Formats: sequence, structure tokens, C-alpha cells
Amino acid sequence: MALIEVNHLVKNFKVAEKEKGLTGALKSVVSRKTKIVKAVNDISFTIREGEVVAYIGPNGAGKSTTVKMLSGILTPTSGNILIDGLSPQKNRKQVVKNLGVVFGQRSQLNWDLRLGETFELLKRIYQIDNAKYRQNLETMNEILEIDTIINTPVRQLSLGQRMRGDLAAAMLHSPPILFLDEPTIGLDVEAKYSIRKFIKEVNSSKKTTIILTTHDLGDIQELCSRLIIINKGVIIEDGSLNDLIDRIAPYRQLIVDFYKEHSDITHPLAEVVEKEGARIVFRFEKANITASRLIEDISKKMRIKDVSLNEAKIEDIIRAVYKK
Amino acid sequence: MKPYLYIAKTKVLSALAYRFDVISSIAIQCIVVIATSYFWVAVYGDRQSALGVTREQMLTYTIMSALLACIFTANVENRVIQSVRKGNVALDMLKPVNVFGIYLAEDLGAIAIALCQNALPLLLISCVLIQVPTPSSVVNFLLFLFSVSVSYLINWLITACFSMLAFFVISIGPLHQTKNVLIRILSGSIIPLWFFPESLQRVLSFLPFVYIYQLPLSIYIGKLGFSEILTQTGLQMVWLLIVYGVFTLIRKKAFSNVLIQGG
Amino acid sequence: MISSLKHHFLVAAHLIKMSIQRTLEYPVELIGWLFANPLQFVLGIATIKFVIAEFGTLNGWTFGELAFLYGLAVISHGLSVIFFVQTWFMGSAMLEGEFDILMLRPMNVLFQFFFRFFYLIGITDLIPGIVIFIYGCSQIHLVWSFINILMLISVLIGATLIRGAVFLFTGSLAFWTKSRNSFLFLNFAIFDQTTKYPLSIYPRVIQMIFTFLIPLGFIGFYPASDFLDKGNIFNSSGTMPWVTLVVGFFVFWIVTRIFRRGLRKYESAGT
Repeated sequence: MALIEVNHLVKNFKVAEKEKGLTGALKSVVSRKTKIVKAVNDISFTIREGEVVAYIGPNGAGKSTTVKMLSGILTPTSGNILIDGLSPQKNRKQVVKNLGVVFGQRSQLNWDLRLGETFELLKRIYQIDNAKYRQNLETMNEILEIDTIINTPVRQLSLGQRMRGDLAAAMLHSPPILFLDEPTIGLDVEAKYSIRKFIKEVNSSKKTTIILTTHDLGDIQELCSRLIIINKGVIIEDGSLNDLIDRIAPYRQLIVDFYKEHSDITHPLAEVVEKEGARIVFRFEKANITASRLIEDISKKMRIKDVSLNEAKIEDIIRAVYKK
Repeated sequence: MKPYLYIAKTKVLSALAYRFDVISSIAIQCIVVIATSYFWVAVYGDRQSALGVTREQMLTYTIMSALLACIFTANVENRVIQSVRKGNVALDMLKPVNVFGIYLAEDLGAIAIALCQNALPLLLISCVLIQVPTPSSVVNFLLFLFSVSVSYLINWLITACFSMLAFFVISIGPLHQTKNVLIRILSGSIIPLWFFPESLQRVLSFLPFVYIYQLPLSIYIGKLGFSEILTQTGLQMVWLLIVYGVFTLIRKKAFSNVLIQGG
Repeated sequence: MISSLKHHFLVAAHLIKMSIQRTLEYPVELIGWLFANPLQFVLGIATIKFVIAEFGTLNGWTFGELAFLYGLAVISHGLSVIFFVQTWFMGSAMLEGEFDILMLRPMNVLFQFFFRFFYLIGITDLIPGIVIFIYGCSQIHLVWSFINILMLISVLIGATLIRGAVFLFTGSLAFWTKSRNSFLFLNFAIFDQTTKYPLSIYPRVIQMIFTFLIPLGFIGFYPASDFLDKGNIFNSSGTMPWVTLVVGFFVFWIVTRIFRRGLRKYESAGT
């Protein structure tokens, strides 16, 4: 059952073209030349209930534009969006009741007052009844430790604390769908950990559907079963992370430390990529041979002191994808 | 020569970017001048003169007052406020150059721009819609110019003093407005002080504000006799010294404050 | 319907509460304005007094009558500060994504925006206005009859709506210009010159503009001229206070439509 449906979505922006220098500035006083920028150029995807999807791409790829259209803030140039059967443009208030959105760079919390005041406001706006309100706050306290910051004025919160506050605020009305736009940006390790824990918890216990735009590879690895990669307004990959790894960089590295230097250890199914002193690094494809088999074969040729195994770096995979 | 041309070019470019602000400020000044002129025309009614000043003189007074306001803008307060906000006060104050000297030089340079950008259009519009503000005589005009230079400095120093209060005061919005209101009204820039009750006039003559607008303007419209001009201008210069003294005092205090608190 | 009204009422009440709390978080600001704002109006009315002392009347208006007009204008100014201050900075709000956040919530955007900033500091304008007005009333020996009070309330509501509409209009232009530039000071200048003095001192053309194009004349001049039984171009006799109320609602309604248009433009163009 597709909860979110995006069909041939297009978004064009008119951008003023300014020429350099004095003549350019004077010209622009008289006439404005505009050009069309295709921020989102015909994308389609569907997301089922309970999925946690990473929506990634280089800067300017069209991620934020897509999320804004999904949440009803921006109207598409063409194409349509259905969230639980409703259009966020035509039925904004209805759709938004079931959405929780967090923008990494912009907070919805009232800056001058304590965190709790914004919660009270949202309680009234979303018409959350007392029981559910208390229950949700309890859950926040457990995972995000909201009770430690609920009485602090928002302007005195650290970035990590403010992000926890924004997450809590977005979840207060128990929305079945969450859009998180760069939620871990600029956070320290501890804060990232608790945010990720929260996302995992909320997805497993409430089957919340989550779309996460992020640059953080840790986020992708920890949280997302599915990856949609967008670049220059077009979707270039859409599938599970493992599938992607298998297709683009289906290899692993075996680092072998011998007792002595050996220059002639080879294997028909593995490539030697590095040789330094008593260490040889082999690269092999998962499809061709398993790690344990490779270790067995090599140890037959020469005694092994120590091994370690490396997966392909996600970073490299994604960089390769962006280049396409 | 090239770098100067480049500077001029960037100035024009940024001026174009701010054209909205410029047009807006000219419009605002026009509105105030025109409205005040109609006020005087209406209030004079059929009377030819009041308290020794004719209606025409009053209109000239109003127009010239607005022109002076264009020129008297002192950016020094924005600079000080900005440097307090951004926190580089300590840096600025510890430079081996007189910081306020720099601000003054910049503001003097800005006068030229203000004259062309703001004062000139305002003057032209006033000539067309109200009347041509001719000075009462050439001599008066020259004396006016001299008096205006002193006024400018007095106004600048007072503004600088108030801006330094930003070091000691937390909320500057109300302070800024108070200063503007005080200067605008107590200097006779909108309503000349000769309409005020005698007692109030005497009190206000012990304040420097009168010498900023009303004195040069009175000279311009020919309200003062020659001996009066001499005494008043003399008093004006005394006030310049007093205000300069106060300015130096506050600056020393502000400086030591910065040293203690670290900007 | 009832539950919807109740919903909106509860949200509005809480937003107002939050705004008041916010103001009280910065008491120094409040105290500062408590000195600065009344000063401006006291000096303003004083200068009028001095001029009138010499000339007797302004276009047939005595000082008491002018104080009545002036006070009335300042009261509606104070009210517009309390209720409409957020419209003064719509360009900035838009560029900082305020409207995005409002659109993410299941309520009308203008409604949320309107109640977001109940600016209690506006009472520093309101109180001197009331004082000057009451002084003016005593000078003209106003009868505090029930009908007069009703008319005054009607005038004040209408006048505040007209002021708010002007600011909401110039603020909504930000949706098209996408800049922080507001007509704030221009608005203030125009309001100052047309609401505190009798409109009749200006030539016919200007009077027409501020009656039929931008109805600022209804903020103070026309209702005051009725209270004081002075003639005006409408030859109205006692109807002006009600006309002001109607004009206020009408103008405000038009501007909300413009706001909606602007919001839609914002939705299609982003920032």
C-alpha cells in the first residue's frame, strides 16, 4: 500500500539573470532577463508505510525542493503528489495534520520562551487530547530526555538540544509520516546517537514512515533500508543500500599481515591492491569468493599472522553515483 | 587612477542596489516638507506675518530645514552600534588611529552624496510645488553657511555621544528615538522656538539644540539683525566647545569601560 | 462550527499569552519605550499648542478640537502597534522561512500570523494617546452618552483596521518583491501627516486621494469632524463613525485577499 506517491513531478524556477559589471547592472534596471532552472525534472517514486528512506544527493540536487513540495509548501510546476490519497497542495490542512516536518536549519520553536511553551501551542493547534499529550511527552522523555530541557528558554539551548526539541515538537501529534531535512547536521556524536535512536524507535514501535534527507553517511547506514539518490533534479538510484553496493562496488578488501615479507602471494580470484612490508591487501568480489574461503586459501600458501576485512566505503560508492 | 575608478564604479553599483531606499527616503522627506508647508499656509490663513516672520519666510524655513536634515545624517551612530553588536569594539578602539576621526571623515564624504542624491531632488520638488527658498541676502547666505558648518559639528558630536551610551545601556531603540525626537523638536527644526512660551525659550537656550537648526535657519531667512547674528554665532561656538568637551569625557569613559569589560 | 471557533479561540489565546510572556522576558525594552514613546506625543501636542496660542485656530479648529483629533489618531496608532506589528516586518519573516513553518500547521496561515505577535509594548503609545484624547474631550465638553461611546469604539475599531490593512498590504508586496525592503517609514510619514491634523488643510486633490484611494481620512478626520459638528465634503451628520467601521472591514477584507494571492505566489516561487 503506497502511502506516498510521487508522479512525474516537475518544478521549474524563474531566475533573474544578471550580467557582470556596470553595464549589466544598468541593463537590469531597464529590463529583467530571466532563465528557467529545472530544480526537479520529472521524478517518480512510491513509498510504503513503515519505510525509512534516505533521500540524498549533492547540494542543489533538488532534495529540499522535493520535500517542500511533499509538505505542501511549494506547488509543483507539473506532476502530482498523493499522500494517503490526498494532494498536499489541494488539501493542505488535512495532509499536514498527519505530517511531522523538521528542517535542520530552521527551527519551529519559539526562540524567547521555554521549550514547553511551544509544545503547549502545538497541543492546541493540533488539538491533541491530554492523555495522548502526556503519553507522547513520556516517550520523548525516555528517548530524547526532553524533561531535562523542557523548561529552558530555546535561545539558551545548544544545537543538539534544539534539534531534540524540534524532533519532539514534530512528533507531538503522533504523525504517521515524518520528513526530516538534515536532522543531524552540525551535531556531536552523542547528539547524533540519540537522534538516530529516536528515529529507529519511532519507526519500529509506531510504524512511522520516514523520509530523511541527509549528507551524513552514518545516518544512511544506521537508519535506512532504502536509498533514493537525486542529482540535478533527476533520480539516478532507487533501491536498498545493499543492492546499490552490490551493483556499484560489490567488492571487499582483505588486509593480511604475514610474519615475513612475501612478494609473491597471489590468488586467482583476488587482486593485490597494496603491498607494504609484511602486509598485503587483497580486493575480491563478493560474488566470486567468500572471505573465509579466501583466508583459507591464502593461509594454505603462507602462515597468516592477522587479518581484517573492509567493506566498500559508502562514501566512495555515493561519490561514484553522483558523478554519473 | 584605476583603483579610484573601481571604487567609484562599486559605489555606483551599490547605489543602484539601494535605489529603493534612496527613492523612499526622498519621498518621505518630500511628504514631510509638503505637509508642513500646507500646515503653515493653513495656520497663517489671511495673516501676513506672525511674531515678525512672514508666511513666505516660514515656508523657506521649512524647506531649508528639510535640506539641512538630509545633510546632517551622521552615520557614526550606526557604526558604533554595529561594532558593539559585532563585538569588535575592542579592536576598533585600540587602533592607533583616532576611530572617531575616521567616522567623521566618512560622514563628511557622505555629505557630497547626500547633497546630490537627497537634497537636490528635494530642493527641486520644493521649488516646483511650494516656492523657491531664496535667502534674504547674499551676506546672510554666507553667514548661514558658516553657521551650518558649526551646527553640523555640534550635531555630529551629540550623536556620537549618544551612540557611545550604547556601551552602558542595554536597549538602544528607545534611546535612539529619544535623541531624535529631542533634537527634532527642541532645535526648532519643525516648529521654530519663537512660538514657544517665553519661559520655555529661556530654558531651551541653555541647551545646545537650538544652535543646530534654528540659528542657521534664522540667519538664512533674515530674522536676525547683524549684532544678534554675532552674539548668537558666538554662543554657538561656545556650545561647540562644550559639546566637544562632553564628547571627549564620554569617550574616555567608554574607552576605559571597554578595557575593563573587554568589548 | 462551534468546535472550530473554540479551536481558533484557544489557539489565539495561547499565542497572545506567549507574546505577552515574550515581552515580559525583556522588561528593559518595555521600560525604555515607556519613556521614549510618550515623550514623542507630548512634545507633538505641545508644539501644536504653542502654534495655536499664537494663531488662534487651524482651519477653524480650536486647540481642544485639535487635541481631540490628535488623541484619537494616537489611540488607533497604539492599537495598531499592539495588533499589527508583525505586518511591519513581513519581508524579513518571509525570507527567514516563517511562512513555511506556518504552512506546515493545519490552520489558516494568516490567522496564525496575525496572532503571533501581540505586542504589549504598544501600550506605551496607547496610554499617552488616551491621555491626550481625554484632555481634548474635556476641552470640547464631550457628552459621554452611550451612543457616543459606541461611536467612539466603532471609530477605533475601524481606524485600527484601516491602519492594519495598509501595513498588511505593503507587507504582502514582499511576496512579489522577495526583499526585506518595506515601506515602513514611508507609511509612518504618511500616517503622521494625514491623521494628526485636519485633512482640510491640504488641497482638494490630496483630500480626494486620502478619502477614496487610501482611506486614511476615516482614521481621524472624518469621524472627528462629525463629533465636533464641523462640515466636511460628505455633509455627513453623525454617520462617519459607522462609515469608518464599514470602511475598515471592507479595506481589511480586500487586503486579506491580496495576502492570499501573495501566499500563493510564494508557494509557487519559493524564496
